[in-house]
Amino acid sequence: MIEVQNLTKRYGGFTAVDSISFEAHPGQVTGFLGPNGAGKTTTMRMLTGYMPPTSGKATVAGYDVFEQSMEVRKRIGYLLENVPLYRDMTPYSYLMYIAEIRGLDRRRQKVEEALDRVGMLGRANSQIRNLSKGMRQRVGIAQAILHNPDVLILDEPTIGLDPHQVLEVRDLVRELGRDHTLLFSTHILSEAEQVCDRVVIINHGHIIAQGTPAELRTELERGGRVLVRLHSPDGATQAVLDAIQAIPTVAAVEPSRDGVIATPINPEVDPRPDIARAVVQGGWDLIELRPLAVNLEEIFLELTRQSEAEETEGTASDAPDTLPEEEREEMA
Amino acid sequence: MSKVMAVFKRELGLYFRSPIAYGIAFALLFFIGVLFNAYISQANQQFPADSTYVPGLLTFLMFLVGPLLTMRLLAEERREGTLEVLMTLPMSEWHFIVGKFLAAWAYYTILLLITLVYHLILKQIGIPDDGAAFGAYLGAWLYGGAVLAVTMIWSAITEDQIVAAFLGAATVLVLYLAEIASTWVATQPGMSAASDFIREIGLQAHYGATLSRGIIRAEDIVYFILLMVGALFVTTRIVETRRWRA
Repeated sequence: MIEVQNLTKRYGGFTAVDSISFEAHPGQVTGFLGPNGAGKTTTMRMLTGYMPPTSGKATVAGYDVFEQSMEVRKRIGYLLENVPLYRDMTPYSYLMYIAEIRGLDRRRQKVEEALDRVGMLGRANSQIRNLSKGMRQRVGIAQAILHNPDVLILDEPTIGLDPHQVLEVRDLVRELGRDHTLLFSTHILSEAEQVCDRVVIINHGHIIAQGTPAELRTELERGGRVLVRLHSPDGATQAVLDAIQAIPTVAAVEPSRDGVIATPINPEVDPRPDIARAVVQGGWDLIELRPLAVNLEEIFLELTRQSEAEETEGTASDAPDTLPEEEREEMA
Repeated sequence: MSKVMAVFKRELGLYFRSPIAYGIAFALLFFIGVLFNAYISQANQQFPADSTYVPGLLTFLMFLVGPLLTMRLLAEERREGTLEVLMTLPMSEWHFIVGKFLAAWAYYTILLLITLVYHLILKQIGIPDDGAAFGAYLGAWLYGGAVLAVTMIWSAITEDQIVAAFLGAATVLVLYLAEIASTWVATQPGMSAASDFIREIGLQAHYGATLSRGIIRAEDIVYFILLMVGALFVTTRIVETRRWRA
């Protein structure tokens, strides 16, 4: 269980994470979704006790991440973004080292179990320097699950892997999500949609939406915009636009690459029956009529565009040259 | 304690797997061997050989050896990102840093023990002063520990091992030369207190005049231990604040 309330992290004048609140529950995979530099890694570092928050509160498994950091660290497994490992060690000796620092008993058995779970038992005694990126990733995950923690935090676990390895890691994440509280970050939307039970979308340090992928979808669909596609060689002609604009439940129309986007007079109204009728009466061939935001990608692009627009209107103070080194790297 | 041991064991093992550590050991022992040989052939004819010659030489060379042994300790972990992994494990910075320091000190101790062979050679050809040798070796051991702890601070400050080594060497030289600086300061009017202070801060005042002649004074031992604990404390604070600001 992870509970985050108004968590904020400021570096000098730059606010990396601005008063975010969310929860992650046991037995669920919570996806932390946002573009690079959105504040995902900073949030995870605060949750794992690596850095203290500027303000706000976060608890992991019931312990405060700042006040009871050691208790939190015992109950958390953390995979870092680029999986730092000791290249001169083998997966087995590395995990034994971590197990010893964690003060675990029955170390040998636990290390073997963790290696087995990530499918690395066969390479347990190879030097880490000779392992592929995907294998290192799995060693990193083995390190995170070694002590069977209540909470798992995985920072971009699929970054830099080939498509085959990505699928393997996603399966592993889903599987681990069944018996852990699992928070994982990604900037790949389809991944979040496939793997997560809940999604938290973050941009410029703000949470701009959260919920199940289905909830997010209906939320934006209720925003109500629909896409109308016609089978006509010259696309959306002025006549079509006028005809749809004339419908009483439609407030505005705009031509788009795929067809016509119609906005209803209010989000509760579904203008699709009226549009269908108008199009058919006009003698055009209707081939598609659907709510605009149907996958997470569109929702995400829509939401990040909105939050960016708000930001440029409001206080656009976050000049990129004031970013601390690490955040700048993230954005690059 | 088991956490300190875990870090200590890995780190000491690393010294024995690292070609650089072997290189340092080889260069040090070779250099001491050549100088000892030259010294003993000269001494044989003119004056009784000094049993504190080798530990004295070793303490002088620590301004080079110390930074080379410690430059890697924290700089590498930070550069590779492994420090972040360790700092999210249930282990305090203090345990981690003490474990690392003890490994460096243990490696240095092994080098020091190897140089005892020169004392055995002296015993073969004459009657060296065992008491003076004991004080000098004990002093060299503490001196080495203090130098390692001080140079480790630089490894925490910079990610660049070469920079850490250079600044470490410079720091140790300053501490080594403090006694010479103090004699100059003493020539200035009204500066005798300052001169005493500068001399007492330096390494030589607690080794050259006392331990290296077999004079074991509590204040010298306290000085070296305080220097070690103080430097480790500073290192811990640096690692902590680096992490908090990161």
